[in-house]
Amino acid sequence: MAAENGTGVVGLVIVSHSAAIARGLAELVAQVAGPDVPIVTAGGGPDGTLGTDGGRVLLAMREADVGAGAVVLVDLGSSVLSVRAALAELSDDEAAGFVLADAPLVEGAVAAAVTASTGAPLAEVASAAEEARNVGKL
Amino acid sequence: MSASSELTLVRLPDSVSLHARPAGAFVRAAAGFDATIEVRANGRRASAKSILEILGLGADGGTELEIAASGDDAVAAVAHLVELVTGLA
Repeated sequence: MAAENGTGVVGLVIVSHSAAIARGLAELVAQVAGPDVPIVTAGGGPDGTLGTDGGRVLLAMREADVGAGAVVLVDLGSSVLSVRAALAELSDDEAAGFVLADAPLVEGAVAAAVTASTGAPLAEVASAAEEARNVGKL
Repeated sequence: MSASSELTLVRLPDSVSLHARPAGAFVRAAAGFDATIEVRANGRRASAKSILEILGLGADGGTELEIAASGDDAVAAVAHLVELVTGLA
């Protein structure tokens, strides 16, 4: 129910096959969006190798949702599967607090975090991430 | 209340680019207004409420920004953003 009657700022989960990518992106995003947006990373596989880990993603999701839900951003391929595995562990009510965004990782995370920092609700933050697909780099 | 429009030029302080932290602060401030707000610089234009478009302006220190707004709170929006930009130094 977090998404419907929650308080606080929408959080962000960054899922990457590389812990270094996730950490570096979190640092960049925090600089643009300021300190109020919960940004939690789930980078790398269970044994510290390149990969993704559904258990680690689930922990990150629970940490990022401080009452208003969280948007989950992923890098490539199987990171989507890890997020879906994490979502499957949650009750329907809990899962309603998360949106897996179909968005480019860097631009999506920056757009989502700045939108979240304005106090926008979950759906708006997720839209900001997905609209990042339509903004050219050049 | 009638809709209004407003346009002002403001120069970024020489020492501050509209990147990273300042860009985030600018977009957050713009999001607080109902008006449609556009920023033009370097021959490009950006919605003041889109961080990716604002970053895409590539507005380095000293760049002249044209801030144009339309809507009920356009005058207040432009005044607030101009104050923010000049205060970035």
